[in-house]
Amino acid sequence: MDIREIQGFLYFFFIVFITVILYGYIVHLYRSEKKGKRDYEKYSKLALDDEPTSSPLEPMEDNKQKEQ
Amino acid sequence: MQNPSIEYDYTVAKWFSYLAILFGIIGMGIGVYIAFELAFPELNYVFGQYSLFSRLRPLHTNVVALGFTLSGIWATWYYVGQRVLKVSLKESPFLNGVAKLHFWLYFITALLAVISLFARYTTSKEYAQLEWPFDILVVIIWVLWGVGIFGLIGIRREKSLYISMWYYIATFLGVAMLYLFNNMEVPTYLVTGMGDPFHSVSMYAGTNDALVQWWFGHNAVAFVFTVPIIAMIYYFLPKESGQPVYSYKLSLLSFWGLMFVYLWAGGHHLIYSTVPDWMQTMGSVFSIILILPSWGSALNMLLTMKGEWGQLKSNPLIKFMVLASTFYMLSTLEGPIQSIKSVNALAHFTDWIPGHVHDGTLGWVGFMIISAIMHMAPRFFKREIYSKKMLEAQFWLQTTGIVLYFSSMWIAGITQGMMWRAVDQYGNLAYSFIDTVTVLHPYYTLRAIGGLFYLTGVLMWAYNFYKTMTAAKQIEKEPQFASPMAA
Amino acid sequence: MFGWLEKRPFFFAVGVFVVIAFAGLIEIVPDFAQASRPVVGTKPYSLLELAGRQVYIKESCNACHSQLIRPFKSETDRYGMYSMSGEYAYDRPFLWGSKRTGPDLHRVGNYRTSDWHANHMWDPTSVVPGSIMPAYKHLFKNVTDLETAYAEALTVKKVFNVPYDTDIDGDGKIDVKLGSFDEAKQRALKYALKVAKETKRQDLVNMVENGKIPEIVALIAYLNRLK
Repeated sequence: MDIREIQGFLYFFFIVFITVILYGYIVHLYRSEKKGKRDYEKYSKLALDDEPTSSPLEPMEDNKQKEQ
Repeated sequence: MQNPSIEYDYTVAKWFSYLAILFGIIGMGIGVYIAFELAFPELNYVFGQYSLFSRLRPLHTNVVALGFTLSGIWATWYYVGQRVLKVSLKESPFLNGVAKLHFWLYFITALLAVISLFARYTTSKEYAQLEWPFDILVVIIWVLWGVGIFGLIGIRREKSLYISMWYYIATFLGVAMLYLFNNMEVPTYLVTGMGDPFHSVSMYAGTNDALVQWWFGHNAVAFVFTVPIIAMIYYFLPKESGQPVYSYKLSLLSFWGLMFVYLWAGGHHLIYSTVPDWMQTMGSVFSIILILPSWGSALNMLLTMKGEWGQLKSNPLIKFMVLASTFYMLSTLEGPIQSIKSVNALAHFTDWIPGHVHDGTLGWVGFMIISAIMHMAPRFFKREIYSKKMLEAQFWLQTTGIVLYFSSMWIAGITQGMMWRAVDQYGNLAYSFIDTVTVLHPYYTLRAIGGLFYLTGVLMWAYNFYKTMTAAKQIEKEPQFASPMAA
Repeated sequence: MFGWLEKRPFFFAVGVFVVIAFAGLIEIVPDFAQASRPVVGTKPYSLLELAGRQVYIKESCNACHSQLIRPFKSETDRYGMYSMSGEYAYDRPFLWGSKRTGPDLHRVGNYRTSDWHANHMWDPTSVVPGSIMPAYKHLFKNVTDLETAYAEALTVKKVFNVPYDTDIDGDGKIDVKLGSFDEAKQRALKYALKVAKETKRQDLVNMVENGKIPEIVALIAYLNRLK
């Protein structure tokens, strides 16, 4: 197997790999929204609600407590 | 849950905004000048050898790409970064110091770069012309920015990163990788102890050098002219219009799509050259696939305005941003078309290529930076924007300028490409090269006028910004969405 | 997996980097060995030619002139044989250019002479009416920096094994001599005198005879070498 062939195989598997990942990502996005695990659309508020007085959407401390 | 009132620190954002305006005027001023030189060659001699086209052209590209655009990117980074992470630079004296050092080192390097290019120091590689001592400075600047990004992320209050942050991070990583590999060079003085200490020789030779250069060149466009500008529009358009992003999921998906595909498309700069065939083909194919994630982002932006199109009429900043995403769509369609092999055979080496570049840079990058800085101005200075009318006039003037620019360059490029290949009835070439130059005179003139329109718009912008800073009506509290403007 | 990544900026950054670096890895690395082999007959640049090449780069000639002839009949008719990868084996950096405001120069040595170049660079419209190329009169006064050119030649010889002082084609003779700086300089001066005489300009000949090579002479030597 010369370097050309390795290159070809790497290239092919990479394409397959990224296609799977990308489609998997779409499925993941919609599934977690359907299951109510995570609402991705709410993150668009991160830009709109960024006044000096706004509180974080998902505060850092909040999450730490959840994980514990 | 506590409700902290954060006082954002806009100092560095302001400084970079001033620099963006300064470099915008200088870089585009040089651009207009050399555009007129092509139409009226006598202009080459006005400042002796320092105004020759070949001397000024690298200056133009470097000052607009690495001066104006980078300053604009950093102005918005030091503003957006704090806000979406909900943390102020004031909270960390260390990060604040790094940010200021970042600014000053960048400013000094930029000045040295301009002087060195005037003094004929260049490696000749496009967008990477700087010689090795300046390359080292650039690397330090980049590291400082990286420390700034990840430092700020480290002390953030907001757990999730907004999509703009993703794009800023990608910009940082992408440019770091590309710049390092493309600028691998050996300083000749250090090896031999003689000759010019600034001189260096590329680590790569011939076709390899070309491959690395266009892998860099193409992706430098990706990571300087596309990725960070998307970061801007994802923040500023929703913010200015008060509308949430149409589909946040689409924005995430487009991000990964762009990251996956963009890097593969570099081969389209080398079609019909001596690089391996399969790579040229791949460059074409991926360039076409690239339409998808690009249009994903652009359509997402346009749909964000759904039901709110009235704002397009009432708010000139929205006009700038909506037209910017439209130009983004145009140039991301035009690029793939040009990378189709048969089209490339005609278009490569002609004026259609600068035409294409300027759709993207004037329409997309320029408009986005202009509107982002004008959005930030009332927040910086707690004043209204000085004149809405002037902003409107600027918009129309610049839009006309862009249309003049790309339409003349389309015609010029296709005319030239056709004339290069035209044959008479016996199969001999129909035109000598000089015929294909003289025929372009009217288009070169028109292009230069288009550029002059755009430059005038930039000067109006600078004036408007200055007046906003010094003379506009003060406002009591920071506006939430639409930027207030005096008629 | 995705949710996890989105909340961890460090791993997220690593992910982005892997994705963007992968393309370069597959695309570029494997072709390096292949593309850098010189075509038979390709020789490294002599000191004067290399100095001329540095002038070409300093003046950014590549902003308007390409050095890449594509394999189309219209191009081979106009400029000559199409370009091959191995011909560029000693080009550091490459000078393909990206825009033909002026014509391609990859084989300009085949159809232009030294005095044509000298006249053209002094006043382009005198030989090409309607030309929009500016004159480069300062090259007739500037003195070529042979030391930097020598430093570059020595660097590529040492670091990249470019075959100076070597018998490349196996005919028992050294093809391109470099040697010490003084030897190389004497050779460059001799070569420069020949080129200067070809330009039919006495001022250039006088300068070379005084041991100073005008940049234009080095540049012409380089352009003549492009074949």
